Formats: sequence, C-alpha cells, structure tokens
Amino acid sequence: MSETADWGHATDLDDIRAQVAIAGIGETAYTKASGRTAREIGAEAAERAIADAGLTPSDIDGITWSGAFADFDVDAFREHFGTSHEMWTSPWGGGMAWAATAPYLAARAIREGEARHVLNVFPVAWATQRASMTGGPGEVHAAQSLKQNLEVPFGWFPQPVYFASIMRRHMIEFGTLPSQFGAIAVACRRHANLHPDAVMHGRPMTLDDYLAAPYLAEPLRLLDSCLISDGGAAYVTTSVERARDLPHAPAVVRGVGEGYSASGTHWALQRAFTTTPQVFSAPRAFAMAGLSPADVDVLTVYDPFTVVSMMQIEDMGFCPKGEAGRFVEGDTLFHDSGKLPFNTHGGLLSHAYVLGIAHVVECVKQLRGVAAAQVPNCEVAVYGGYTGHMASTLVLTKDR
Amino acid sequence: MAIKRDDFPLPDVDDPLTTPFFAGAARGELLIPRCETCGEYVWYPQEACPRDGGGLTWSAVSGRGTLFTWAVVRRAFLPAFADRVPFVTALVALDEDPAVRLCTYVVDTAPEQLVADAPVAVCFRPLEFTTVPGRSVIVPMFTLT
Repeated sequence: MSETADWGHATDLDDIRAQVAIAGIGETAYTKASGRTAREIGAEAAERAIADAGLTPSDIDGITWSGAFADFDVDAFREHFGTSHEMWTSPWGGGMAWAATAPYLAARAIREGEARHVLNVFPVAWATQRASMTGGPGEVHAAQSLKQNLEVPFGWFPQPVYFASIMRRHMIEFGTLPSQFGAIAVACRRHANLHPDAVMHGRPMTLDDYLAAPYLAEPLRLLDSCLISDGGAAYVTTSVERARDLPHAPAVVRGVGEGYSASGTHWALQRAFTTTPQVFSAPRAFAMAGLSPADVDVLTVYDPFTVVSMMQIEDMGFCPKGEAGRFVEGDTLFHDSGKLPFNTHGGLLSHAYVLGIAHVVECVKQLRGVAAAQVPNCEVAVYGGYTGHMASTLVLTKDR
Repeated sequence: MAIKRDDFPLPDVDDPLTTPFFAGAARGELLIPRCETCGEYVWYPQEACPRDGGGLTWSAVSGRGTLFTWAVVRRAFLPAFADRVPFVTALVALDEDPAVRLCTYVVDTAPEQLVADAPVAVCFRPLEFTTVPGRSVIVPMFTLT
C-alpha cells in the first residue's frame, strides 16, 4: 500500500481491544414508504435495542447519533422515554462510517466513567420522504454550491453517476467485468431471499436478470444500486464485564479503524479514484484486534453500489488490489459455501437502505448464531463503513 | 429541492468562487486557479492554496487533456435532463496537472467510440435547458482529438 500513502491517512485511535461489547440490538421493520417519521422509527429501534440488552431506558446513560441526520437525538430520547437523567452524548455516531466508530466513542466514555450503557441509533425515512419530494441522498448533494456550478450543470450528478464513473475506471484499470459486479448483486439478493425482513425478500434474481437490467448511467445498472427505504436500528454498547451479566452473549469490539482521503469530499477529485480509505482504516482495525483478513468469518460493507463493495473487498485486504472482480465470482460471497460470506442480510442493495446500521446488527446476529443466513461457526464479523472520503472498520468477535 | 435559483441547473455565474471560470469560458479561455507561491493548480476553486495558503490567480491552460472516465446517463435524475438523455458526462484530466479533473460533456462522438485515456481538447459551447427557457451559459465541453 506504499504507493497510496500520500493520498490519505488513518486516524490514530486508542487501543480499545476487548474493552467493550455490543450487548443489545434492535431493529424496526424495513420497508418501502411507510408514512412514518424517522423519529418514530428511531424510537422503536431504541426501545427494542434497550429491551434486547435486558435494560430499561433509565439504564441508558449515553447516546450517540448522526449529527447530519439528527432525527433521534438525546432530546428525542428524553421526550420519548420520559427520562431526565444526565447522559453522555455525541452526534458522531449513527449510521454510515460512524456505525463502525460509535462503539469506539462509547468505549472511551465508558472508560472515563462518563457512561455505562451507550445507545447508538440510526433511523431513516427516505422512502416516505421521496414520495413527498423532500430529503434523500441527491438533495443533500445538490445543495452544495461547487456541485451546483461545476458538477450538476454537466450532468455529473447524482450518486449513480459518480459511481458509474468509478465503476468505468475500475473496469479500465483492472479489466473488471459487468458479470463480476453482478456476482456481488446476486449474492446480496440470495441472502435477502433467506431473510424474511429484507425489502427484496421473495424477489429472486439471477446473473442473467442482472445483466438484463436497465442502465441508470452506463456501465451502472439499476441492480448495481441500493434501495431507498424506511427503517432503522440501534445497538447498546457496554463494558465486556457488564455485557457478560446481560441476557445475550457479548459481541466483543476487538478492533476499530478510521481512514480519510486527503482529496476532500468530492468524488470527481479523489486522487485514488478506484481505491477507498479502507486501505488506511482496515489494517489499523485488524492490528488492534490482533487478527487478519484471513480470520474473518463474515464481512458486511456499506454498499450503496456494487463497485463500493468491490473496492472495499480489495482495500480491506481480502484479495490483492484490482483482483476483486475475479475473487467475487461464483459462490465466494455466499453465506454457506463461500470463502468470504458477505452482506449476509442482503446489504443496502437487497436488505434495506438504512445506511449501514443494519450491517452492524447483522454482524452481531452472526456472532450470536441467530442470523437468517447464518454462517457456520461464525467467530469474527467485520463491518466496513464508507462515506467517500472516509472509511471505517469494526472488528467484532465472540467473547473468548 | 433545496435549490432556490430559477435558472438551476445552469451554473450560477455570479457565485464569486466560480465567476472567473465561466467568464473565461465566455471569452474562449479555460481558466484554472493557480497558487501564486508554489505554482500548483488548485481545483476545485477555494479561497487560498491548501498547501501553503498562497493566493490564487486564475490562469489559462491549454485545454488539452485525457478522458479519465465517463458515464452514459440514461435516466434523467433531474427534470431538466429529461430531454437530454442519453448523454455522456465525463471527467477530463488536464494535461497541465492530471489531478485537475473537470466534470464536462464529451460531444461530437458516439458513446461507443469513446476510449479510456483518449486525448481530448476543449471547446466552448452554450449550455441550455428547456426547463430554463431563454437562458444559456457558455461552458467548456470536450471533443476527441
């Protein structure tokens, strides 16, 4: 990775190996437009995560959420649960890349004695909002003046166009084939069909179906793209010692990583156009955990488009750079027969577009042995988060 | 949408950060900000050089570059593009500094004729949208050379 070192860096994180664990998880229904608000969805996810941890709302003394989507923050928590006790808070949690780093923030707060049980919550209601033409991933981007003046007028907008361009360049540099992107989409759909809660459950898809799907922006097809969904999830982080007293086996946080590109937030200008900051993040997380990619039993990654999965599989070290196309072919990503069980809930492509929080919940379920598409003898589960110029990595293991 | 301008998605030629870019295009010049201290190009435009804080001057470049990547847009993601699809939107890497990539249109060539890293040259054409009648802005587009 030495050739990449000039375009980004890893964040220096404290070693929190095996200090905290995820002790409770909660999910709402994952749906198309539900008519619910994100705040309602967040409240339901929070209720379920707290109950799953065997706790009550008054036990929750820390909360993290996503400041950019503050639908269920500390004020919403207090109003919903009718509590007034003091809470440690951070708006640097929630979903996307922060779904991986929220347990790190919780670990620091717990170590400093500022909290015992920290709730991380992320809801989204973009399917409902889309029906009323507000919100959604495009609007966030269109509001930026440089995009308005230098990208949108030239048709370089929105996300499907950015990632079609990245996909094309990946094909140019590495010879990646359409059918190889399709293998990722097919694996995700296969897993969604095993998962009763997935939005695309009951909608089988073959590689031929993928190849016959219409282009949104060639070479990117409709079936390379994530859903737009309503739904949310939450999890409770506490000390490993405390987690051992709670009803479920702890999902131990063994490693966390975070990496940034130095090329800013615009996709058009990413110097390493076909590489993600996982090259900085994942090695740090594995080093903290004392594990390597070969030890991973299940991988979930933030997958708004198939090329983002393709790049992260390479950049996290599961295969050499540029070889993920060949690597993902066939059954490699399947939960039961593959060598790298991948997005076993169906991912953003076929489970629901809840921006990564369900990926972390899926990791916990796999370690508990209760996933819908359960990986046999799952001991190590990893989530790779991504937001363009930032990537993050969360290594979870069974308590051992 | 959060966009209030009635000429969206035409560029806002009065936005101070990008005014010289569009003023240059109207005169047939491709201008890119360059640091007065280190001489490096700085793209996208910003207040000062991110390397050394130096002031930026809009400098003419050759308008030659290579086709870094492109997409053939078939779905109109905004109403203004409904009568333009399919069209090719591209990233062109400038010869002076390939890290400077322009989002642009590649015109006068069928999409299936495009080749990665092909040499391209700037041309200046009016950008118009039928949703913004009577308005146009001259912008840099590119052709294969």
